[in-house]
Amino acid sequence: MGDIFSTGLTTFAAAEAEAPEHFGIAAVAFYLVLVLGLIFLALGAAKKGLKQRVFKNFWTSRFEQLYLFIEGMCVGIIGAHGRKYVPMIITFWLLIFFGNVVALFFPYSPTADLSFNLGMALISMFYVQYEGMRSNGVLGHFGHFAGPKLGGAMALLITPVIFCIEIVSELMKNVSLSLRLYGNIHGGHQAVEAMNQLGTKFYIPFGEFLLPIKLLTVVVQAMIFTLLTCVYLSLVTHHSEEHDDHGHADDHALAAA
Amino acid sequence: MDVIGLGIAALGVAIGLGLIGFAAMQGMARQPEAIGKLQVSMLIALAFVELVFLLTLFIGGPALKTIVK
Repeated sequence: MGDIFSTGLTTFAAAEAEAPEHFGIAAVAFYLVLVLGLIFLALGAAKKGLKQRVFKNFWTSRFEQLYLFIEGMCVGIIGAHGRKYVPMIITFWLLIFFGNVVALFFPYSPTADLSFNLGMALISMFYVQYEGMRSNGVLGHFGHFAGPKLGGAMALLITPVIFCIEIVSELMKNVSLSLRLYGNIHGGHQAVEAMNQLGTKFYIPFGEFLLPIKLLTVVVQAMIFTLLTCVYLSLVTHHSEEHDDHGHADDHALAAA
Repeated sequence: MDVIGLGIAALGVAIGLGLIGFAAMQGMARQPEAIGKLQVSMLIALAFVELVFLLTLFIGGPALKTIVK
């Protein structure tokens, strides 16, 4: 068991060793403030157009589209009760998206930093556990890890094994979430630098030609992080979904009556 | 030798990504009304396969650097 846990730690250590030139906490803080400033500027511009009956303001309509997209994703994946997770998911989306946009134009960015990504992934993981406990109860949530109900000797043999594997896979979720984002953004920087090296003789920055792929990565990575958080939420709050569906069906029946 | 190992890892992951894209596009062409659902599951599968190569890179990368030096 100790080996499994230390595997994650060595993975992080190896990933840190991959980036020897660490910019330090001051750079992360500076770029984080930049990202937050961009987000609040955009949100402030969007808030001005809220009073009109039709959203004519550019930022307001963009944010409305974003909200509808995220809401569709949450409701589509988690189910009818997915609407209450929209604030958390949209916060992740905005933070990662603006962080990736900053990573396009600047040498560094919060999302190109492993510690920041690990922090976000830990928040996501603990939020998923918290929501699971809130919707199923603490015992129900941990009972969910034990897999299907088996009878007799099978329960004694297999259920502890399934429980351990499920716990480890829960703990590995933050590793996969943070390393994926870090690898894509930081790897994009590395690839641009390596391609710029090719063109130094001709004074052509070949790395610029990677910009279309990086533009795609900006959106796809933000989407994948939020999508996977949605999937984890849907796995954890699965049992309450049926109750919610029944409740809504009853509501509809009442409304129809 | 490690360079070849990373190349093999990239090859396998590329084949996996290609298979996912192939299957998803075939499904989308056969059933265009299911594009939304297919895209979501395709992206999730792409993310999981992509992670394999990232892990390989993070574990194999530092070793590779020491060998090159």
